[in-house]
Amino acid sequence: MKQPMQCVLFISAVFLAGADGVRAGAISGTVTPSKAGAVVYIEAIAGKTFPAPAKPFAIDQKSLLFQPHVMAVPLGATVEFQNNDKVQHNIFWPSISGNKKLSHNMGTWPTGEERSFKFDTPGVVPLLCNVHPEMSAYIIVSPTPYYAVTDASGNFKIADVPDGTYTVSAWAEGMKIQSKPVTLSGNAAAAFALTK
Amino acid sequence: MVIQMLGKVKVCDDTDQREATVLRLARTFIPSVTAGAVILMLFSSSKAYAIPPFARKYQTSCQTCHIDFPKLNDFGKAFKDAGFKFPADDENYIKEPPVLLGAPATKDSFPNSIWPGEIPGMPPVGLRYNQFFQYTGSNRNQFDALAPPGSVPGLIPATDFQAGFFSIFTAGNFGSDIAWWVDDDLSVSGDNSAGGLGDGYLKFVNIGRLMKLPKDSLSFRAGQFELDLPFTQARTINLSPYDIYQQANIGATLPGARQQNVGNQFNFGNVARGIELSGGHTYGGYHYSVAVFDQNTTGVSQAANLFPYVPSATASANGGIGFSSDSNFKNVYARASYRFNLESDPKSRHDIQAAGKTGPHDHTYLSFGTFYMYGDSLQRLPGVSTGTASVILNNYEPYYRVGGDFSYNFRTFNVFGLYMFGHDSDTLPVDATGALIPLPLSSTSAMAAGFVRGIPATFSGGFAEADYLVLPWLMGIMRWDQVNSTADRINGLAFSTNTSYFAPYNSSRDRFTPGVQFLIHANIKASFEYQFRPRQFVTQGTLANGNPIATDPFRVNTALVALEFVY
Repeated sequence: MKQPMQCVLFISAVFLAGADGVRAGAISGTVTPSKAGAVVYIEAIAGKTFPAPAKPFAIDQKSLLFQPHVMAVPLGATVEFQNNDKVQHNIFWPSISGNKKLSHNMGTWPTGEERSFKFDTPGVVPLLCNVHPEMSAYIIVSPTPYYAVTDASGNFKIADVPDGTYTVSAWAEGMKIQSKPVTLSGNAAAAFALTK
Repeated sequence: MVIQMLGKVKVCDDTDQREATVLRLARTFIPSVTAGAVILMLFSSSKAYAIPPFARKYQTSCQTCHIDFPKLNDFGKAFKDAGFKFPADDENYIKEPPVLLGAPATKDSFPNSIWPGEIPGMPPVGLRYNQFFQYTGSNRNQFDALAPPGSVPGLIPATDFQAGFFSIFTAGNFGSDIAWWVDDDLSVSGDNSAGGLGDGYLKFVNIGRLMKLPKDSLSFRAGQFELDLPFTQARTINLSPYDIYQQANIGATLPGARQQNVGNQFNFGNVARGIELSGGHTYGGYHYSVAVFDQNTTGVSQAANLFPYVPSATASANGGIGFSSDSNFKNVYARASYRFNLESDPKSRHDIQAAGKTGPHDHTYLSFGTFYMYGDSLQRLPGVSTGTASVILNNYEPYYRVGGDFSYNFRTFNVFGLYMFGHDSDTLPVDATGALIPLPLSSTSAMAAGFVRGIPATFSGGFAEADYLVLPWLMGIMRWDQVNSTADRINGLAFSTNTSYFAPYNSSRDRFTPGVQFLIHANIKASFEYQFRPRQFVTQGTLANGNPIATDPFRVNTALVALEFVY
């Protein structure tokens, strides 16, 4: 009887912990003021690196709008910038998380073309178009693959997070980034009340 | 009206009489008009509009169409050419859905239904206000010398806070490529009665499609509008107007056969009322326009040009608010230009904006253009009568304006210029014996029996300007205006107020106008302009032949600061 029980416990532990043998859960909660488009992510984990995603992400320029307005990507992700307007566009970012040395200009976008860029620096990338100053969007480059974008009610859920203690940050447009430690043992909850 | 107009210009054959007349004129007219003339004629601010209704409709910034509002960038030019809409896929950019005045499928039931159109979802109305602070140089006090002894002239202040224009404007597209524009000054200089209609027209864009002509090769506009000038006056970024656009052609007040019976108040700064055909694009390639519009060389307003015999359109059955024309003749204005976009890449060259490594921008281009206007100024004089009925002599003096222009642009640096030549034929009234009738005509003058040719009244001039957008919010401007008019100088020697410029010391009048403008926001602007103005005079000597000569010239330079906003 003892051996079968050990076997069941072992299988259960592997199932709960995921591929690396550590138990994984979710961090969920809310960001206030409640609105869609806030990003919650786990900051860099000491001694841990993650492979860049193989599949590129995409941002479109359509009807003089960036679509989507906010996008979160993991570190090392490649983003394809498209132009589906019948006018020329441009994309540049004057900084990444305020670091102006990381500014970049992608040039001119004729209709139907796309260009890509690999983001190797974590942070907030404010996208602008220098011919349509009202256009803006944000790419949040998360240091880890553990991130989520809030729904219209400000709710978020970061799934498949291994147990442990992390620094979790929340960003929303026009608000100060807020960070707090979160200890995960199975599941955890976190609430962020952002201020301007 | 010519008699009235010429009546303001006293000319005497005898030198003593001339001097006496000069003094009398100086005492009568000058103290009362000097301050107004100096300020209004030379420092009047230009109208300028950006279009907030479009910003609202498309939820886009002013900078989509403007460099330093109201100066258009290449996209703004294409937007205007297309009839105030995006040149392609316009409906995809509209964030404020229009109200349909008929389902699109209604077209299929035409002519048994009204052709479907649309109106903007919200009234596309914009408002604009500006205000000024002016500094006038110390030489302004020299005009005090014109006041008769014992009288106190009006004061031209050294500094002055001035109210500007409060204007409303609306523009857009009703669908079917029918565009409209109306702007009106509700208040000018704080005076609600001093405003008036600027442009007001309907434009039927690309009507050439009905005749299977190439796209955008033919459009039609009707209403009141600024002529298709090479460089707009109504929507310039400059605080002061271009001098050559303000130039009327007033003949010289000389005696005998040398005198010029010309008093043509037409100038390019005036709006035109009429129709216009146009085609091509202003952002590349060819562009042309031909306008036929009312002639008005006497300067009489429509409100004042009324008669109880025949009603005009806005009148009751037994009278009229007035007629716009003072002649049967219609002026004709034609313009043709070609713009060479200079990018080596054909795709970029032919696109609305050029592609660059750091984003789209205005093309590097070189454009050349020419313009010509022809009119026939009518003079109506009392003629010799054989009976009791009065005889009116209708005399026509053909006139034309012709010129050329260029513009070169490299990124945010634009240098452009214009030259114009004006020519008015001169016909002098003669009496029944064929002798010249001294001008100006008065109740004691002999009746005119006919006319003989005199010396044409001409002027020339133009301007050159360089605009450099140092930063997206900082524009530097350097401008040179010149007007050459011998007649103005001669009239100035008579201290005549009926000239385009008060007492110019030289026939050639040069004005240098550096300026700088700051966009505080895309819709709020602070502007500064300094004017090195042409020399004037108020004192005269006498030549050996008895003719007056101007002495002691001086400049009255000014500095102008403006704050304006549109929303």
